[in-house]
Formats: sequence, structure tokens, C-alpha cells
Amino acid sequence: MSAITEGDVTALTDDADSSGQRAWIITKHLILFAVLILLWELAARAGWADPLMFPAPLGIVKQIWFIYVVQQNVWFHLYTTFAEAMAGLFFGSIMGIGLATAAALSLRFREYIKPYIIVIEATPRIAVGPLFIAWLGFGFSSKVALASLVCFFGPFVNTLTGLLNVDDEAEEMFRSMRATKWQTFWGLRVPNSATILMAGLKLGCSSAFGGALVAEFISANQGMGVLMSRYTYTLNMNGAFATLLSITFFAFLLFKIADVIDYYTVYWRSDSLMQAKSKKRKAAFLKAIAQN
Amino acid sequence: MTSIASDSSNIGPAELQDTGFKRLGLHILIFIIIIGSWELAGVFNQLNDLLLPAPSKIIVKFVDLWFIKGTIWWHFFVTMFEATAGFFIGVGIGMSLAIAAVISPIFRRYISPYAIAFNVTPGIAVTPLIIAWFGFGWSSKIAMATLVCFFPPFINTLTGLLYTDEDATELFKSMRANKNQYFWKLQLPSAMPLIIAGFKIALTGALIGAVVAEFFSASEGIGILMQRTSFKLDIAGSIATLLSMSLMGLLFFSIMEVLDYKVIFWKRDARMQQISKKRKAAWRM
Repeated sequence: MSAITEGDVTALTDDADSSGQRAWIITKHLILFAVLILLWELAARAGWADPLMFPAPLGIVKQIWFIYVVQQNVWFHLYTTFAEAMAGLFFGSIMGIGLATAAALSLRFREYIKPYIIVIEATPRIAVGPLFIAWLGFGFSSKVALASLVCFFGPFVNTLTGLLNVDDEAEEMFRSMRATKWQTFWGLRVPNSATILMAGLKLGCSSAFGGALVAEFISANQGMGVLMSRYTYTLNMNGAFATLLSITFFAFLLFKIADVIDYYTVYWRSDSLMQAKSKKRKAAFLKAIAQN
Repeated sequence: MTSIASDSSNIGPAELQDTGFKRLGLHILIFIIIIGSWELAGVFNQLNDLLLPAPSKIIVKFVDLWFIKGTIWWHFFVTMFEATAGFFIGVGIGMSLAIAAVISPIFRRYISPYAIAFNVTPGIAVTPLIIAWFGFGWSSKIAMATLVCFFPPFINTLTGLLYTDEDATELFKSMRANKNQYFWKLQLPSAMPLIIAGFKIALTGALIGAVVAEFFSASEGIGILMQRTSFKLDIAGSIATLLSMSLMGLLFFSIMEVLDYKVIFWKRDARMQQISKKRKAAWRM
């Protein structure tokens, strides 16, 4: 049995029944949000909030407009960080999934890498940052390396858990049908790990982003991390908040995209998708029979 | 349940037929072979000291850092203090928020969008802001550690407390347990494994937060030591520092394992028997 060691954000969402109720809840959320922002703005206007600490929301909005539309300098940095994080995620998950597959196939390999994995898990991996910069230089490659090192663990552990913890009875059935090792692997273990692998990739997504940002903090000349540290060093707090908000927004967007991919890849988890898929398969099967 | 795992302890059953002793010997043998060939490559001048120094050089640096010059002790202590302080504050905030959210569904409903937004933002992105707010000293590192580590205890406590076994709840209700009994005897113990798992993630997170804040700007701490050595291209020293950091991580990790072992005794058969025996003896007295 795999231990569930990660809480679930869905615990927070409530189940509103009708759509009318849902709309009302969203309105209430928005009202609360508006009140909070208004209070903040008023506090800033009245001089209670130090502009060096909490700049007024209006100023932040203006700054967002400025960097996205007027000056347009943020796009380039955004692109850099995104490219770094995605390349890191790509390499990291290939490394993680590859290692996990090897470990799942061979008990001996699993045994031998276990102590190293524990050490790697306990080390704050992001700390390798300066070393990577010394090795790979100040450019793109050191950021990708750090991002992939930071994010490889989520896909690795989740793939391994998914590949190993298969249903005992299903495995018995595969054995009684004389499935070969490869058939069991592709027909049982891989589909079984898909759900949890996607969760691991989502986890890796946000940590790859973090890795790229930290590498940029340490030393770089382009990217969101650099933009943010420049703004804070010049005490342009509006700019720093605007950058932070864009990081949040784009990280959220990425997360949502991953969610959609998750939904369509692991189709058997959602009933309606599952039914559509079965119908299609049934139609194809009937057609094949009719042709014979 | 969407997101599961991220814990190397469920890396799977070990069913190798070798005896424990032989297995340990093989582990050590493989380790020696790897390190030995690395060292040999160094002896035959195949390694560039600026990229990958030989293990012997790293060990010399390690001994130098810890025992001869002893520079690392202070830095080690500083980072450890920052991470631990951040951990306790973060856990305090996270758990109290979670308990508030469990008690009041309205509160839970209103914080949920913020929690989701917070969950997807990489917490370390806030580093420059935190440094600007709290200055270059210890407080900014503690704040950073707090910020990075508060989320796992929050979400895990919340999940654990919300998903209580329904049958057990019914049993408690039919026995007329009051609210306090329900919380202390059922809700909290059943949430405990998840809460401890949250602590585990948080402690590593706190260390990461402290180290990253030190990278950004600091004058003392193991992160700054690491940055100094690698910017001087003293790669052996840098790897030695990294190893010390792994040591700190392992220390934290094992503290958490002990806590896990002590608190969640019912998950392990041997421990469970030991405790039941003790309780039986106490009851007989």
C-alpha cells in the first residue's frame, strides 16, 4: 500500500449543487476579494501601509499594464523562465521515469539505488544551484540543469509507486492467463501508474518553475527571477508585486493545462469520457466483425 | 484523491533472497567501486579540478571545513536555526489555519481560492520581496523558511481531519461521544499519519527556504558558504559543503522518522505489540 503523504487541495472545494448556487458563491467570493483590495487601497491612501512594504493595488495594476503593454519587457523574461522550466521538466521527468521503470523492472537495481535515493531526497537539491552555475555557466543550460534536478523526484517516486503497487488480484489474473512479463508491464503496471504519474508530473511542474527561478536569483541576466530581483533592489515594489503576480498567474495556467492533459490521458477515471471511449471501441469492434 | 505519494519509504517491497549481511556487503562493495574508479580517474589526471575533483580532495576539504579550520560550524548552526525556527512558525500557522478551516466551513470556503493560488506559486519566488521586507539578517531567512514550509502541514492537517472514517464516526455518535472526545480520540489520531507526513515535507522545505534566502543575500549560513566556495571555483570545497547540507537534511529526516515511529505506533506491528503490552500491564495494576 502506498502511503498518502500529500494532502489534497480538492478538500477545500465545496460541492455546490445547482449552478445558481454556484454563481452566488462565486459572487460572494468576488465581493470579499473586492472589499479586501479596497481596504488595502484605502490604507495605502491614508498612509497606514508603508509603500515600500505594501504598495497600493492601483499602483500594482498600473505597473502590470506598464510592463505588459507599454514597455513590453516582461514577455521576453517570461519566455526565458518558461523555456527553462519546461526544458527542465522534460529532462527531469525523462530521467525520473526512466530510473523508476528500471527500478520497477529489476529488484536488484531497486535495492542498490535505494540508499542514494534517500540521500538525494534528504538533500535540499536546490542547494546545488551555485555548483551548476560554476559548471555550466551563467546562461540557459545551468537553469535547465537545476530545474531538472529539482523536479525529477516527483515523477520518479510516483512512477515507481504506481508501477509497483498493482492490485494483487489483477496481477493474479494476468498470471493465470499466462501473460508474459512485458504484457503485465504494459497491460497492467503502466495503466495503473498513469494516474499517480500525472500527479507526479504536476508536482514536478511547479518545482521546475521554482528551480529555474532560484537559478536565476543566483546569477543570470534574463528571466522572471532576474526581473524580480532587479525591481526589489531598486525598491520598485509595484514592479516586484507585478512580477510575482505574473509568476502566480502563469504557474496557475500551467497547472490548469496539466489538469486538462491529466483528464484526457487518464480517461478511465472520468465516467463520461470512459463511456465515450468504450462506445468508440465497441463501434470499431462491430465494424471489424461486419467486415469479416 | 488526486495527488499521492512523494515519499521514498514506499519504494516497494524488498524481497531479495540474500541475507542482510551479504546485502550490506554488496552495497558497500558497489559504493567502493564507484568511488574507487572516480579516484583512479583523478590519479591518472583524467579529471578537471574545476569540474569534478577526485574524492580524496573532497574528503580533505570536508575534514578541513569541519575539524581543522572549523569554519562550517557557525554557518551550519545558523542555517539549522533558521530552518528550525521557520519550521515551527510555519507549522504553527499552517495547523491553526487548518483547524480553523475544519471548524468553520465558511472560513474554509473563503480561503480556498487563495490556498489554491498559493499552492501553485513556487513559494521561493517571493524571496526578493521577503529580503526587501525583513532585511539581510536572520529574520528574512526565518520568514522565507516559514513561507515555504507552511503549506504541507496546512493542507495535510486539513485533509486528515476532514476525511474521518464514516463507520468510526457513526460508532462514536452511537456511543454518545461528545465533541471533545470525538476530536481527540478519533479525528486527531486518524489524521496523525498524514499530519506527520506533512511535517516531513515541511522540514525539508524549511531547509530549502532558508538556503535559497541565503543564496539571495546573506552574510552567514551554509548557503552563503556554498555560494562563496563555488564562485571561487573551489569545487572541492563546494561539494564538501553540499555533503554537509545532505548531512543536515539526513539529520532532519531521521528526526522525523523517529517522530513517526513514536507517534504513529499503530502502523507498525512490533511497536503496536510493545505499546499494548505496556498498556495491559498498566491496566492490571
